Amino acid sequence: MWAANVAGEAALAALLVLRKNYRLYPAFFSYILLVLAQNVVGFVTYRQWGYNSVIAWRIFSLTLGVLICARALVVAEVCRHLLRRFRGIWALAWRFLLVCAAFVLLYALLVSRHDRTLVVSSADRGLEFAIAVVIVALLLFARHYQMDAEPTDRWLAVGLCLYSCFSVINDTILERWLYQATALWNDLAVLTYLASLLLWIWAFRKAVPAAASEQSLLPGSVYQTFVPEINLRLRLLNKQLSQFWKVEAPEL
Amino acid sequence: MSFLFALYISLVVLLLLLLGWALRAPRKRRGISVGPATLEETGQCHVTYLPQIRQALAPADFEFLASRASPKLTSRVRKERRRIALTYLSAVQEDFQRLLRLARVIAVLSPEVSTAQEFERLRLGVQFTLRCQMIRIRLLCGIAALSQLSGLSQMVSAFAVRMETAITELGERAALATELTSSLERRGVGLS
Repeated sequence: MWAANVAGEAALAALLVLRKNYRLYPAFFSYILLVLAQNVVGFVTYRQWGYNSVIAWRIFSLTLGVLICARALVVAEVCRHLLRRFRGIWALAWRFLLVCAAFVLLYALLVSRHDRTLVVSSADRGLEFAIAVVIVALLLFARHYQMDAEPTDRWLAVGLCLYSCFSVINDTILERWLYQATALWNDLAVLTYLASLLLWIWAFRKAVPAAASEQSLLPGSVYQTFVPEINLRLRLLNKQLSQFWKVEAPEL
Repeated sequence: MSFLFALYISLVVLLLLLLGWALRAPRKRRGISVGPATLEETGQCHVTYLPQIRQALAPADFEFLASRASPKLTSRVRKERRRIALTYLSAVQEDFQRLLRLARVIAVLSPEVSTAQEFERLRLGVQFTLRCQMIRIRLLCGIAALSQLSGLSQMVSAFAVRMETAITELGERAALATELTSSLERRGVGLS
């Protein structure tokens, strides 16, 4: 499975170059290159120092940290691709998503078991959980405002989210059953990553058209004039409906 | 099973369900035509049928019928009235949704949006939907009185009149409305 993953990563990197999609998705391209590099570093490390050595564990933790940060940048790239054309919504969304991510990460770190041996898996779980929440929130945001996402962005987001969700489960299993389940944990992690990789290959099978420049927008005064007015009407309608609800019902 | 284990597994399941829901194709959207003429329809759809609906839901009519007609006919009329009430409730909800869609389109096409206004609308939307569902359940269970629906009619009527006033104002701001319409046409996606 490890070989299949490396082959998949290489194929995806080649696709990104051949279709020139790396220009539109530089963070994602860098992430795939970093994953490939991590495979090489891991292979050399395990051969040199063995699977259970301290140095191998340190190198693994370091590369894991780098990869998670790179994945967070990919998430930011997907968010930007999806929303940047709509300046007002983008300004609202990035703050909201950032607050979500910070809150989830903080919460995950606070509720974790503060065990020295589990510090890496706890931090990893917190970050992966924050990534999954941000992607789901982003897609809900896009749905709420009826924005049509490009299929590439959508598949990219789904792949990232699925991988992060299963990483959270894997880390939780690892924390609960620690070394008894290491083999199973590794297999599951590799399998879910392979599934995400296939989704991304599917997403980038064609050249992605360059995104349209910023959407032509309305004058700012339209929002200032109409939206408070509409909200007021909605509030009144809601209030009257609640009064209607509160009236004691006579016999039907 | 430890608390943390259960917490994370349930949160991940919830996230996956939300992901599935977010990816699901939205129901066929009703078009929002934002020209002044079609905007008038937003407020007028209930005004058009209001007298008939009031008549259909008037308690006096039903009491008269109940005192004269057979129980079978009375029961049939009661069912019909309930059906009308439910249809009317859906129509009120549709009015609300239309306003929500209009506000969303304006927000999407605006260079700056207010966080407070956006979250307030989200809250109102959720509240309104829940209330409508509660009333629907009450009507289906026969707990709510149909006579209450005439109160709802008046409320919608008042609402429609206010909408008409606003739309007239919108019509007067012809340049603004034209700009809005043309921007939506240029966008041409996601609105219909």
